Amino acid sequence: MRLLWLISWPYARKHLLRWLLTTAGIILGVGVFVGMHTANQSVSAAFRETIDRVAGTTQLQVTAGEPGFEEEVLEKVQSLPEVRAAAPVIEATVSTDKGNLLILGVDMLGDRSLRTYDLEGSDEAIDDPLVFLAQADSLIVTRAFAEKNALTLNSKMPMRTMQGDLVFTVRGIMKPGGLASAFGGDLAIMDIYAAQKFFGRGRKFDRIDLALQENVTLAQGAAKLRALLGPGYEVDPPSSRGEQFEQTSRIYSLASNITSVFALFIGMFIIYNTFAIAVTQRRSEIGILRALGATRSQIRTLFLVESMIAGTFGSALGVLFGIGMARAMAGYIGGILTDVYGVAQRADGLDLDPLLLGGALVMGIVTSLFAAVIPARAAASVDPVKALQKGRNQALGEGESRMRRWAALACAVASVIALLLSRNTVIFYVGFVLSGITAVLLAPSLTLWLSRVLRPLLSWVRPVEGTLAADSLIQGPRRTSGTVAALMLSLALVIALGGLARSSYDSLSDWMRIALNPDLFVTTAQNLTARNFVFPASLGDGLRRIPGVAEVQLVRSVRVTVKGGPVMLVALDVASVERRAKLPPVEGDPIDMYRRTERGEAVLASENFVRLHGGRLGETLEIPAPGGTLRLPIAGIVRDFSDQQGSLLISRDAYMRAWHDDSVNVFRLYLARGAKEAEVRQRILDAFGKQQRLFVLTNKDVRDYVTRLTDQWFGLTYVQIAVAVLVAVLGIVNALTVSITDRRRELGVLQAVGGLRQQIRHTVWMEAAAIGFIGLTLGLLLGAVELYYAIEISRRDLVGIEIGYAYPFATALALAPVILGAAFLAALGPAESAVRGSLVEALEYE
Amino acid sequence: MIHLRDVSKQFDGKRKVTALERLDLDIARGEMVSIVGPSGSGKSTLLNLIGGLDRPTEGEIEIDGETLSTLSDDGLTRVRRDKIGFIFQFFNLLPTLSCLENVSLPLHLRGWPRKKIDERARELLQLVKLTARLDHLPDELSGGERQRVAIARALSIFPPILLADEPTGNLDTHTGAEILKLMHDLHDRLGATVLIVTHDHTVAESCPRTISLRDGHIVGDVRRQPISQEVSST
Repeated sequence: MRLLWLISWPYARKHLLRWLLTTAGIILGVGVFVGMHTANQSVSAAFRETIDRVAGTTQLQVTAGEPGFEEEVLEKVQSLPEVRAAAPVIEATVSTDKGNLLILGVDMLGDRSLRTYDLEGSDEAIDDPLVFLAQADSLIVTRAFAEKNALTLNSKMPMRTMQGDLVFTVRGIMKPGGLASAFGGDLAIMDIYAAQKFFGRGRKFDRIDLALQENVTLAQGAAKLRALLGPGYEVDPPSSRGEQFEQTSRIYSLASNITSVFALFIGMFIIYNTFAIAVTQRRSEIGILRALGATRSQIRTLFLVESMIAGTFGSALGVLFGIGMARAMAGYIGGILTDVYGVAQRADGLDLDPLLLGGALVMGIVTSLFAAVIPARAAASVDPVKALQKGRNQALGEGESRMRRWAALACAVASVIALLLSRNTVIFYVGFVLSGITAVLLAPSLTLWLSRVLRPLLSWVRPVEGTLAADSLIQGPRRTSGTVAALMLSLALVIALGGLARSSYDSLSDWMRIALNPDLFVTTAQNLTARNFVFPASLGDGLRRIPGVAEVQLVRSVRVTVKGGPVMLVALDVASVERRAKLPPVEGDPIDMYRRTERGEAVLASENFVRLHGGRLGETLEIPAPGGTLRLPIAGIVRDFSDQQGSLLISRDAYMRAWHDDSVNVFRLYLARGAKEAEVRQRILDAFGKQQRLFVLTNKDVRDYVTRLTDQWFGLTYVQIAVAVLVAVLGIVNALTVSITDRRRELGVLQAVGGLRQQIRHTVWMEAAAIGFIGLTLGLLLGAVELYYAIEISRRDLVGIEIGYAYPFATALALAPVILGAAFLAALGPAESAVRGSLVEALEYE
Repeated sequence: MIHLRDVSKQFDGKRKVTALERLDLDIARGEMVSIVGPSGSGKSTLLNLIGGLDRPTEGEIEIDGETLSTLSDDGLTRVRRDKIGFIFQFFNLLPTLSCLENVSLPLHLRGWPRKKIDERARELLQLVKLTARLDHLPDELSGGERQRVAIARALSIFPPILLADEPTGNLDTHTGAEILKLMHDLHDRLGATVLIVTHDHTVAESCPRTISLRDGHIVGDVRRQPISQEVSST
C-alpha cells in the first residue's frame, strides 16, 4: 500500500487523462454488458410478471397452441375430480388510441375462484356478474389506465374489433396491485363470450386456467389432464409461458449477448494497452525501485493493484452507466420483440438483478486484472540495469516480434485445419477464435509494416510533419499496436455484422420477390406479426366478390411446438401458392413436394427449421394437434423467412381437420389485370371496414414493413458501429496522449528550429490519421474473414438460413470517413496539448 | 543586435522563484559572447528568453529590430525560424531522421524546394566535415559527430544569431575543443552573433566577451582579446 501511495498515486495524478481513458474502457465494457443484459432481463421479467399477475392462483394452464380449442374442452377439464376450479381465458393485446392494452376475456362467474378483482367502490354491475355479462360492451380497467386516460365509471372507450368499430363502457375500475399491475397496468377485463366475438375466436378459448384440489400435486394433475385431453394439448404451470417466450426470443438474446461480450473484450483491450504503455514508460521508475530493493513480486503486485483499483472504479461507474443505458434500451428491445415475435411486450421498470450487477462488477475487476497480468509480468521482469539506461523502449524486440509471428502462423494453420474439420461445432468455434487470435498476434508486425509503407506517402504530403508522424508509429509499435488491434477487431465485427445484414437483406429481398408477391394483403392488424385477432374464413368469399380481385389465398399462421421447440405453422392453399408464389426447393422435387403437401400427405419445411431443429428431407414430423397428432413427412425444404425459429408449410385442409380451426390471419389478394390497387383497396374497406376490424395493406406496405423490421433487427449493428467509433476515439486519444508525451522533446525541437503551431498540429493529426488508416485497413481485411464466420454461425446456430457471401463494400466505404473523422477528433486534444506546453520544459524533457 | 531592457523572469510554483531580475544587456552584431555563472544563476533562462523559447515576466527584448513581447507564439516561432540557430547540450537531434534529414528540417519548415534543401544540407554537412555520414542516424554517430550535425542544423538558414547552451557539456575534452574550434571558425566565416552558455572556463575565455551571472543579476561583463584556439585546445 505504501508503494501504491508513493509511486502509483503521483503517476496517476500526473497522467490523469490516461487514467480516465482506461477507466472509460472499463466503463464502456461493463456498461454495455450491464445495459444489454438488464434491458433484456427487464423485458423478460415484465413478461413473466404479467404472466404471474394474470395467473392469480392458477396452478396449471391448458393450451393447444395459438389456435386455441373448442368450448367443450372446458367441460372435460372441469369434470376431472382432481380439478378444484377451471376457467377459460382469451388473452389479446390490442392497439388502441390509448396505447397497447392487454385484454383478458374471462368468465366472470367462475373466474373469481382463480383471480381476485379488487374493485373500487361498489358497483351494481360488478356486484352482479350476470348484469356485467348481459352487457357485452362492459370493460373493467385498472386505476392506472383509467387515470392515464381520464376514464371514470361509465366512460366510453372506442375500439376496433372483428365486429367493427365499437364503443365499450367502463363498468369497473380495479384497485392497484395484483392483477391490476400486469402489463404495466394497461389491462382491461372483458367477458369471455364477448371476447370470442370481438377477437374473432368463434366458439374457442385460448386456454384454461385451473387450480387443483388440495391433495393433488402438480405432476399428478398434469398427468391426469394430459391423459384426458390427448397429445394436441399442453398442460403446464403458468411459468412455462415465460420459458417459451425466452426460447422464442433466443436468437435476439444471443445476438445481444455477443455485442455485450464484445464490448467487454474491447474494454479489456484498452486496459491492456494502457498498462502495457505504462510499463514501458515507467521502466526507469521500475528500474530505480528494483535497484532500491523492490522485489519482482512487489512490482507485479503494484501494477495488479493499480489495475484492480481502476477496474473497481470503472466497473462501478460502468454498472451505473449500464443501468442508464438499459433504461433507454428496454422500450426499444420490447418494441423489437413485439414486432418480430408477435408477443406484446412492455417493460416500464427495470429489473435490476443484484447477481448480474454484482457479477458485472466482479467481471469488470477480473477483466481489468486479467488485462494487466501480462504488463505486470513484463514490469516485474524489467532488468534494473537496462531500465536505468536511456533508450527507446517502445520498440519491439526482434525476438518478441519473431515469437509473435510464429505464434500467429501456428494459430493461422490451426484455424485453417479447424475450418477443414468444421462439421464439428466445437472445432468450428475454436477455429473462429483462433482466426481472431492470429489477427491480434499479427497486429504489431502489420502495424509496423504498414507504417513503413505509409512513410513515403506521408513524407510526400508534408515532408517534416508526415515523416515525423510515420516515424513516431515506426518507433513506437508497442504504443500503437494495441490501439490498432482494438480498432481492427471492432471494425472487423462491424464488417461481419454489416455483411451479414447486407447478405440477409439480399436473401430477404429474393424471398419477398417470390413469396410476398400478392397485390394486397387483408390483415387484422397493421403489424403483420400480431395474431391476436382472426378473421372468419367466410370473409374470403366476400373478398372474392369484390370487383378487381382475381384470386384470394387464405393464410393461417400459428405457433406450435414441434421437436420440442416453437415453430411457425403456416396453413395455406398450397396449389394456389404453387401457382402464384412458388418457392424453389433447397431440397426435394419441385413438383412432387407441392402436390403431396397440397394433398395433406406431407409438409414443406423451411431451411431454418431443418437447421435449427435438426430435420431432414423425408423425415416424418410429429405435430401435436387437438384433433390428434399429425404425422407428416418433409416433402421439400424451401427458403422461407416467415419465422426465425423456422416454419412448416401445411395444406389448409389438413390444418383445419387437425385443429378444428378455419379462421384466417391474412388474406393474400391477387388483382385482375387492369384493376387498380387503390380502387380495389377502397372497395374492400367500403364493403367490410365498418363491419369488422380490417386493414388492407399494399404489396409495398408489406415489403416496407418487413424491411423496417429487418432494419430494427440489425439495429444492433449500429450499436456495434457506435462502440467501434468509441473504441477508435478512446484508443487513439490514448495512443496519441502517450505519443506526444514520448515525443515531447522532439516536438519541442521542432518548434525551437522554427516549426509553427499548425505544423506541430499537423504531425499529431497525421499520426492519428495513420493509426486510423492502419486500423481501418486491418479491420476491413479481418472483416472479410469474420464475415465468413458470421454467415456460418448465423446458418448453423442462429437463423439457420444459407445466405450468400457478399462483402459490404458500402459499409466499408462509409466506415473510412467515420473512423478517419473519429481519429481526427481524437487528435484535437492531444495536438493542442502538444503546442500549448512549455517549450523550455519540452527541450529539457527526458 | 540583441537588446534587453529591464528584463525579469519569475517562475510560479508553490514558491515564486526569480531567475532573472531587471536585466539590461546589449550585444552587437557579430559579437561572440560567453555567458557564465553557477547553476541556478539564470544563464540558460537568459538564453531561452533571447531565443524566444520563453517570455520574460517583465521587460523588453529586441532581436534584430523586432520586439519579442509584441509577437504572438507563431510570431516568436518565425523569429526563431528566420534569425536564430540553436545548439543544445544534448544535441536534440531527431533520432528517426538521418543526418541529412535533421539538417534539412528547418528548411522544410520554411517550405524551401526539396532540391535546394538537399543542396544546402549537403553543403553544411561538408562544412562540419560529415560528408561520409549523410545517411546515418544520430544513434550511429559519436557525441562529437552528433554535435556537428546539430551545429549544421543550427546553421542551415545561416541565421544572424547562434545560441549555444553548453555545446561542449556532453562531450569529452578533446571533442569539446574540436567543437569549440568549429564554432569559432564558423563565426569568423559567417559573421553571426554567437552566444554560448557554458560552465567551462576554457570555452568562456575563448570568447572576446564574457558575461557573468549570479542570482539573476549580471555581476560581470568582461571584454578581452580572443585566445587562440590552438592554445585553448592544448
